[in-house]
Amino acid sequence: MPHQLSRRDILKVAALGAAAVAGSRLIRNAEASGSVPHGKHQWAMVIDQSKCTGCGYCTLACQAHNDTAPQNQWNVITEVGELGGHKVFLPRPCMQCAKAPCVEVCPVGASYYRDDGIVMMDYDKCIGCRYCQVACPYQARVFNWKKFEGENPTVPEWGEPEVERRPRGVPEKCSFCYHRIDRGLAHGQMPGVDADATPACVVVCPTGARIFGDLNDPESEVSQILKEHASYRLRDELGTGARVYYLPADPKEMELEVES
Amino acid sequence: MIARLRAKLHRVNAWTFWLGFLGLLLAIGLTGGLLVFWKGLVVTNLTDLVPWGLWITIDLSSIALSAGAFSLCAAVYLIGLKRYEPVARTATFIGLIGYSMAMLSLLLDIGRPERFWHAMVYWNTHSLLWEVTMCVCLYLTVLLFETMPILANFEWLRGRFPKIAAKMEGAHHYAPYLAIAGLCLSMLHQSSLGAVYGVLKARPFWYKPEMAVLFMFSAILGGISLTIFASMFSSRLTPRARVNDALLERLAHFVGWALAAYVYFRAWDWLAMTYTYQPGRSEGLALVTSGPLSFNFWIGEMLIGAIVPMILLLRQSTRQHRFWRMAALLMVVGGVVAYRWDVNLSGLLVVLSYLPGEATVAYASYTPSLVEIMAGMGVIGFGMTAFSLGVRYLKVVDHRFAIEEHESVNVESPVAVTAKA
Repeated sequence: MPHQLSRRDILKVAALGAAAVAGSRLIRNAEASGSVPHGKHQWAMVIDQSKCTGCGYCTLACQAHNDTAPQNQWNVITEVGELGGHKVFLPRPCMQCAKAPCVEVCPVGASYYRDDGIVMMDYDKCIGCRYCQVACPYQARVFNWKKFEGENPTVPEWGEPEVERRPRGVPEKCSFCYHRIDRGLAHGQMPGVDADATPACVVVCPTGARIFGDLNDPESEVSQILKEHASYRLRDELGTGARVYYLPADPKEMELEVES
Repeated sequence: MIARLRAKLHRVNAWTFWLGFLGLLLAIGLTGGLLVFWKGLVVTNLTDLVPWGLWITIDLSSIALSAGAFSLCAAVYLIGLKRYEPVARTATFIGLIGYSMAMLSLLLDIGRPERFWHAMVYWNTHSLLWEVTMCVCLYLTVLLFETMPILANFEWLRGRFPKIAAKMEGAHHYAPYLAIAGLCLSMLHQSSLGAVYGVLKARPFWYKPEMAVLFMFSAILGGISLTIFASMFSSRLTPRARVNDALLERLAHFVGWALAAYVYFRAWDWLAMTYTYQPGRSEGLALVTSGPLSFNFWIGEMLIGAIVPMILLLRQSTRQHRFWRMAALLMVVGGVVAYRWDVNLSGLLVVLSYLPGEATVAYASYTPSLVEIMAGMGVIGFGMTAFSLGVRYLKVVDHRFAIEEHESVNVESPVAVTAKA
């Protein structure tokens, strides 16, 4: 029956066509989300564990500047051990991964890369499914289970809020204080050098354990330090390409820190 | 006094009692749901470490248990096993209910329910959850078309709007095409639901390719089992449901063999998982085989969920015995739900530390809150209500009822129809 065959053929062609269109779109997109952001600047943070005393100022400044609820810390400090009689700490902001699991899995594209490598959250797009939270290897995301209402206990002592409070029902995370970076660059300042253009946690650190700067600039402090010192990244084996580097605690340097 | 009450109660029949019970479930669910929308997800016991819980399990389970629709429709319209058509009708209706239940529980679960449509508009084609959302929405549309002829059975509609009812009935001409669409969409998202977990590198216990295969396989098993069980159960309760027991028995025999294959795959999945210690993965396995989820795993999933029903359905004497067949099928359904619960929690309860050096593993805990349970009961109550109404008013379970015969692709072209007229 030729009639029957032709129908079947049309169906086959239609199915193949649809598959081809869908396939090409998927491949193109897979490439897009697999690529590393390549803007002019590539921001990175170095945290020197020899210098960190675990004072928690970074967390407080973050809470004030980003107006986070007390239970929603974007920057968490953990005591990880002891070295030569001194405690060793590990502060953990968002790693701003170059290949961020949260960006890959977000169904609506509410998590995305900026050209300068910062992993951003579009709080207006987010549907609150929390897949990003499940996918993040660093527990960097906190969910707004309820609306943050009332006063922020860290304001004004630790700074003034610079971004809008997030609504109920979306996850939030550290953004390398992108607003400070953008504002600074607009005023001709250099993030990592000028305090007003640098993330609040870096500025407030009393021991200078946090260093911020541009990886694309070989003269920047972060580039120089990473060239001269051995560093490591958290869960590097996952291939996330974190932009937060740690300098492991060195007993000798820790002695010097205590003396100074 | 008591005699008079009893006489009164006699007049209230079983159907009214059943409706009352369902109404209670719905009322509890509605209260829970409203509390969630009003207060937000703070009323749940979900945390940043365990952000997915009971509702995700209900969502995954209702999608899995709807898989009878696409597999039986494919069997009837694509493979040509025509005699199963009345069973496929029941399965399709269950599918429509199941996917609506999934949508309801997702609506509860997402933090911004008013933005549920965002996945349609803002595409991240790289996200499995995006793919699942799109497939589920498209497939729900396919299911709506597939159930049109069933909905057209509604007496009131036939009497009041006979033309519309006739049009809806005509949708069955497209059944083969809808079956193809349903098969493609279902294969995609049923397996992708497993892959949602399977692609997460940060969670070693989930990170494995067979998640997609196991989700797919267990969904087909559970879906067909629920369809047979629901058909048999309703036929015992009401004369409005009539089944061809020989047909259901043969289908149950298939479930028995498929269970044997499933037990093999599932056993292979955890036995071959890890020989040497692997951070996160070994702990996940320990959680399931000897930890807090072990009862669920050994008894719920393996023994009652797979092995016992496999034996019951493969032995002729127990398979032919209606009670044992129904019991076995219900066990399969329970096993599929237990599998979804275990998968979700085993990966979340093991918290692999990001700290360098020796990998430290912590354990989180989760028990659903009262509001979560209430809202969950509402979702399940909705499904039961819809199926009960279907059995009563739409002849959803009626194996004598057969819509006119049609070849799988031999559909009369519109030209021929006009020529005849």
